[in-house]
Amino acid sequence: MKNAVSGLGLAPDAAMITFPIDMFLPGSDITPLAKRKQEFYDGLTRWKSGFAQSAPGAGPLLSVEGASYEDALVKANNLLLTNLWGDGLPLWPATRERVDWIIRGTVLPRTHLIGKFPPRGGITTVETCAVALAMAGGRPEYLPVLVAAVDAFLDPESNAEQLQAASGSAFPVVIVNGPIGKQIRLNSTFGCLGPDPQRPAGASIGRALRLIQQNVGGALPGIGAMANYGAMRYTNAVFAEDEEGLPQGWQSHAAERHGYAPGTNSVSLVFANGVANIRRRGAKKETAEEDALQGMYRMADFMRTPNLAGLAGYEQGTPGILMIPQVVAQTMAGLGWTKKSMREFLWEHSKIPAAHLRRAGAVAWIEIDSSPVTRASLKLDPWPISAKPDNLVLIVAGGGHPTNSYWLQGYSPRVIGREIRVPESFAQLLADADRDLGCGSDACLI
Amino acid sequence: MVKLEFHDPSGTLEVTQQHAPRLASLEGKRIGFVSNEQWQAFRTLPLLKTMLEADFPGIEVLPIDAFPQGNAVIGDEATAKLVKQSGVDAVIIGNAA
Repeated sequence: MKNAVSGLGLAPDAAMITFPIDMFLPGSDITPLAKRKQEFYDGLTRWKSGFAQSAPGAGPLLSVEGASYEDALVKANNLLLTNLWGDGLPLWPATRERVDWIIRGTVLPRTHLIGKFPPRGGITTVETCAVALAMAGGRPEYLPVLVAAVDAFLDPESNAEQLQAASGSAFPVVIVNGPIGKQIRLNSTFGCLGPDPQRPAGASIGRALRLIQQNVGGALPGIGAMANYGAMRYTNAVFAEDEEGLPQGWQSHAAERHGYAPGTNSVSLVFANGVANIRRRGAKKETAEEDALQGMYRMADFMRTPNLAGLAGYEQGTPGILMIPQVVAQTMAGLGWTKKSMREFLWEHSKIPAAHLRRAGAVAWIEIDSSPVTRASLKLDPWPISAKPDNLVLIVAGGGHPTNSYWLQGYSPRVIGREIRVPESFAQLLADADRDLGCGSDACLI
Repeated sequence: MVKLEFHDPSGTLEVTQQHAPRLASLEGKRIGFVSNEQWQAFRTLPLLKTMLEADFPGIEVLPIDAFPQGNAVIGDEATAKLVKQSGVDAVIIGNAA
């Protein structure tokens, strides 16, 4: 709550009376409220803010000393953790030298204000991003993607203010389109949502975004972020669409959803709250047509869920992101499927019988939704999981193997796009990466 | 000794508006509730109303539905306008979890 208060531009120490969660559950004992009534009265009459305004801009540098570099590094990590600025994994201290190096990756001044990060309202500049990227082990060529992702995150329509604090375990998914994906070694194929030493960019960018969410936005587990589980939050999900694997005639996600021209470097930010692997491929002697159709039904079965958190995106967001590997996309295209026809099929066959909504109490959540379109959807039986098929995000990404597809369950009021701007020196930054990490072209990677 | 200097990653905060002034006392005042209708607010807020009315002579505490309720509307400018128009001296906002 302090985050929400400071996010409004108020001093963060508002008059609040807090109780354990038990009192807020159905049938609870609410007598603790009566025992502490004086605190309410004092809050209305005697309370005073004790917050001291800090100077705008970057704060002073922190300092540690050790008997050796290793000792100092340990102390720096301990300091970051004890100040609640770490994630439990080793961090690079954001030294002036390291931040200055990373700042080379932007066209913007380091003091450029991107926004105030919700719910805490921490002032977020390009330098803020560089500091987080330095801590996350990032490199200068990653910074343009992070800055675009943060800018998308701070779009007022993203509803990030609520998603940061809510219990539903939302995490940002950053889909990158354009040549920059390959250039900076962002994964679009095998293991694209996990660690990859040959394509390490997504882990650093996503981890940096998460550190900003926590340290600047105040999304600290159990304090500022009430996510019950918080999965995928070490690195969020940052990957590139496999544009080279797109079948002929299929548009990229960036072109379909945001209207960006081919070759444009862009991010698309979606919030999700769950992941599921789908065994898509058939097991016996199916024909190609049978394999495709059965796989489509199976994917629709995974989507046919009363995802009540996902109601936030019912009208204009997305019910989720379906990832299919390029080998499946090529097969589907060969059978005449397009991204659009796949979305329409999946939307049609993921509808939920109204009786199932009623027995699960889902109707009440739909009835109280703020969107008239969502409320009106209750007239439909079976009930579609989104207002229209095109809300579904369908991405070609993942290893070139036909067995699985992946479903990232949506919790996303909008799907926010941003173009990525790179500095004139970008080619040099990529050359530096080749020098530091070895050749990054397809010919060199295993 | 090796010294490491590094940036504080938490950024800074900017206070752009002040909290509402506190009341000198609650006697004879008019108090409202802005409720998100969640987390047993339908029980906790009426209890607060009862306690305030019992403890402070002349106090008027509006019912919990005097203003629009629910997460979707309590942050609206329209709701804030209604609160101001009502002439309450203070409001209690609840419940968060």
